[in-house]
Amino acid sequence: MPIVEVNGVDKVYQQGDIEIHALKDIHLSIAPGSFAAIAGPSGSGKTTLLNMIGGLDLPDHGDVIVDGCHFSEMNQSQLAELRLNRIGFVFQSYNLIPVLSAVENVEYVMLLQGVEKVERRERAMAMLDEVGLSEKYHNRPSELSGGQQQRVAVARAIVSNPAIVLADEPTANLDSKTGEGLLKIMAAMNEKRNVTFIFSTHDKMVMDYAHRLVLLRDGMIADDEFK
Amino acid sequence: MITPKISPKISPKISMDMKMAWRNVWRNPRRTWLTISAICFACMVLIFMLSFQFGSYETMINSSVKINTGHLQIQAKGYFDKKSMRRVIENPDQIKEVISGIDHVEAFTVRANTFSLVSSKYRTYGAMVVGIDPVHEAAVSTLKQLTRVGEFLPNTQEYGGADMVLIGSLLARNLKVGVGDELTILGQGKDGSVAAAILTVCGIYESGIDEFDRNTLHIPIKTFQSIYSMGDAVHEIIINVISLRDVSMVKAQIINSLKNIPQGEALVVMDWDELVPGLTQAIRIDLTMGIIFWFLLVVVVAFSILNTFLMAIFERTREFGVMMAIGTTPKRLVKLLLYESNFMTIVGVGLGIIIGCGITMVFQIYGIDMSGSSEILKQYGMSGRIYPRLSIITAFAGPVLVWLVTVGVALYPAMRIKGLRPIEAMTHI
Amino acid sequence: MELLLAWRNIWRNPRRTVIIMIAVIIGIWTMIALTSLMRGMVNDMFENGISTLTGDIKLYASGYHNDPSIEYRIDDPNSVMSEIAKALPYDSKYAARVRVNAIASNARHSIGLTLVGIDPDKEAGVSFIGNGVVGGRMISEDDNNAIVIGQALLEKFETRIGHKLILMSQDSQNEIASRAFKIVGVYRAKLQSTEKQYVFASKHSAQKMLGIGNGVSEISIVINDHEKYEQTAQNIRAILKNSDIEVYTWKDLLPMLKAYMEIFDGFVVLWYLVVFVAMAFGIVNTMLMAVFERMREFGLLKALGMKPSLILRSVLIESGIILIMGVIAGNLLAFGSVMMVAATGIDLSALASGFEYVGMSSAIYPEILLNDVLLANVVVLVLGLAVSTYPAVKASRITPVEAMAHT
Repeated sequence: MPIVEVNGVDKVYQQGDIEIHALKDIHLSIAPGSFAAIAGPSGSGKTTLLNMIGGLDLPDHGDVIVDGCHFSEMNQSQLAELRLNRIGFVFQSYNLIPVLSAVENVEYVMLLQGVEKVERRERAMAMLDEVGLSEKYHNRPSELSGGQQQRVAVARAIVSNPAIVLADEPTANLDSKTGEGLLKIMAAMNEKRNVTFIFSTHDKMVMDYAHRLVLLRDGMIADDEFK
Repeated sequence: MITPKISPKISPKISMDMKMAWRNVWRNPRRTWLTISAICFACMVLIFMLSFQFGSYETMINSSVKINTGHLQIQAKGYFDKKSMRRVIENPDQIKEVISGIDHVEAFTVRANTFSLVSSKYRTYGAMVVGIDPVHEAAVSTLKQLTRVGEFLPNTQEYGGADMVLIGSLLARNLKVGVGDELTILGQGKDGSVAAAILTVCGIYESGIDEFDRNTLHIPIKTFQSIYSMGDAVHEIIINVISLRDVSMVKAQIINSLKNIPQGEALVVMDWDELVPGLTQAIRIDLTMGIIFWFLLVVVVAFSILNTFLMAIFERTREFGVMMAIGTTPKRLVKLLLYESNFMTIVGVGLGIIIGCGITMVFQIYGIDMSGSSEILKQYGMSGRIYPRLSIITAFAGPVLVWLVTVGVALYPAMRIKGLRPIEAMTHI
Repeated sequence: MELLLAWRNIWRNPRRTVIIMIAVIIGIWTMIALTSLMRGMVNDMFENGISTLTGDIKLYASGYHNDPSIEYRIDDPNSVMSEIAKALPYDSKYAARVRVNAIASNARHSIGLTLVGIDPDKEAGVSFIGNGVVGGRMISEDDNNAIVIGQALLEKFETRIGHKLILMSQDSQNEIASRAFKIVGVYRAKLQSTEKQYVFASKHSAQKMLGIGNGVSEISIVINDHEKYEQTAQNIRAILKNSDIEVYTWKDLLPMLKAYMEIFDGFVVLWYLVVFVAMAFGIVNTMLMAVFERMREFGLLKALGMKPSLILRSVLIESGIILIMGVIAGNLLAFGSVMMVAATGIDLSALASGFEYVGMSSAIYPEILLNDVLLANVVVLVLGLAVSTYPAVKASRITPVEAMAHT
């Protein structure tokens, strides 16, 4: 049974007087443990699709099913609950909470889940060790480099034990060496924990690492390649 | 013993949110300080002005009470309205005995009043003749301290001087008399007979209240009783209590004890509020005006800082979007924002209370010189200096108002978060 | 061009602009509306004071002010009035009175009060008694033994119209003159204390009782434009400098009122400053936000060669526009709300005895004074611009490099 199912999703945006048909009748299913990339030129709808899978945005038509939950049948707070427990996010511009230190950022998600303080701290530190940031527990995001911030973001996305991690252009703001380091970390996580990773990207390196490559063009799936 | 158990799940949650809120408050220190200053300023002004108002009321009440009416009076029923000479307290000694047994009574004395013609060699005026007990009067009213020329009435029992009279400064001027001059008083006795006496001025008092200084003269009660054929009767028993707060309690006790004595039926107990009805209302007017003024000031402050709260939110819309994306509920975000506005307000209010109380305390010790406007203050029975009166109410009423209004204002931007969708928030620039 | 740019800039964030404008509007409104309310109260005290037998200017025979006895009197008031007529504004009114301390008594009560002998026709517009009679009738010029007394006195004496009252006073020979008067009318005054203080008889009956011929104790003058009292008093003094008549203004006669007005003037300034400071924090903060948001823009302008002074000016113009709009709206609101209540007055009779205590009547008619309005506007505009220089200077000091680094 696939972990993510997208069934005939349609999405139209209104921008001023212009209607933008961002997604047209998308059908997609992703198996558990995948390391999949959604690629395509800018404006092709890849971020929109990722947002749909993350439950951040709802389709006009069709349905998204993640881990057996039908989004069309859920309200906002149920969606929030699902995001909290089953979905991890990594954003292009890191988007850590600026007033929290690295370890606190990782802890924050567990705090929302209601994990106890001591356990939270232990797991957060272990997670940071795993992404190679043992030295930087107590630094604020502004004191970390872009690559380090993105590793904290990955730790934050993984620590809540999600079924899937959605990463929106995670390497776009990083140099290629740092980007590759990050990808390696994510690949390792994918292998070790069997967490599904779904990327939106136009970075060639990410596409190379991916086991599956979905190519979007003008809101439609142009190609779907398993490697 | 029951120890309240805080759920380990809840308490660390709160601390994390609070930590975040506190750090958020200080992300833009300049803006935060300006906002805190506005709140602090409002609290300072409110504390000081309220203390000042209450201080001046206390001065007004006390001086009005001290010069004339006392905190409480016992009179015959109907005397207050008609001032009829015949409505007397027949047996004051019996009542004095009752009062001596009551706690919190500081001092008491008796008085008798009547209107008479007063003539000097040159002039004749009508004035209120007041019979007082020279010994006890000094403990109840400030009349003795107000005697600026000559001497206060002597203790007649020990030193004689039953024909002495103490006279108000304006009346003395109008009559053209000084200390040692003779006065004739001519009136009507309680029994309707002609009452007349020749008295010698022993002293002149000046209270600053023109009506009192122009219309009254004081003679020993024994003299009064013999001139006006009063026997042992008096018109008023004036009672001072230790503190204004004790008035109602002492009043109740006196009323109770009066029930047990035969003449009690015919007597009433009045407090200063009933004796000088305009005073409380004048205070109420001033206080009402004050409250309107200070409330509007707080509203101005509220709008003044509303922008800070709004900006703090709009600048961070993107951040809120991300937080919502990773699972933070809107409710929790609102809570975070309310923590933030509360922290700012609490710091401002706290500083305001400390500084405001400090300033007020300094003035409470040294007083505020109002001599430039002494005339009007005299009318209200105040001296040249006013001492603000810091109390729990004046120290906290203003700040609590500021806190309520500020937090109320902060609710508006915080509630806007509720309608926020993560995707819109994240694309917000 | 500069103005247009500033205008557009302030509307880049309409909500923020509107909020700070509301702060200014409420500030100005509280300044003007509350001050006019208090002015109304003070004005009421003033009118009361003037009409309670004081007038703007009063003439006494010298000696009377310190020793208000019938010994000191103006023997020929008519010739005095014709002498000073040219010093008075054309619409002034005056009344000559006999005023003496007296003792009133009937079978049950006696009390000290003031007997005033008046020309009944002259008092209208000069003092409250001109239109104050509410029961019975006003005394007429040739009434011989008639008096009008206050409602409060009537009650105190437990008497009524038609009954008699004995008045005693010292006559010109220092003898006690005593005479029975018939109560023909009852008057009401704003204050109970006034009602108890004065009884009115016709001038000539008072003169006859006291044996003073045509003499009077005082001449009270009311000028339509109260502002001119000081100048008029000066002119009268100049004319009367060789006579034994002294000229007093209400300020000499009602020092309490004068002191109250001074305290109040001080309070107005204090209140304006306090409200302004409350606004100022908001103005500075808002302008700072606007400036920091546009850091990059200012940096760019500088990089393009714009002088710092121009940037400073543009920020000041923006804050000036906000202040002016807020001030205009605040003024309109204040005038509007004052107009609304000015017609009917604010009735506070629930607190009547409190007002009595401080010498006011219980309906307040707010009054806007041009000076107060000017002061409020000047305080807000001038000080408002002054505090705006802080964010303006911040903006002008931004260097292009800093600005670009700013996110």
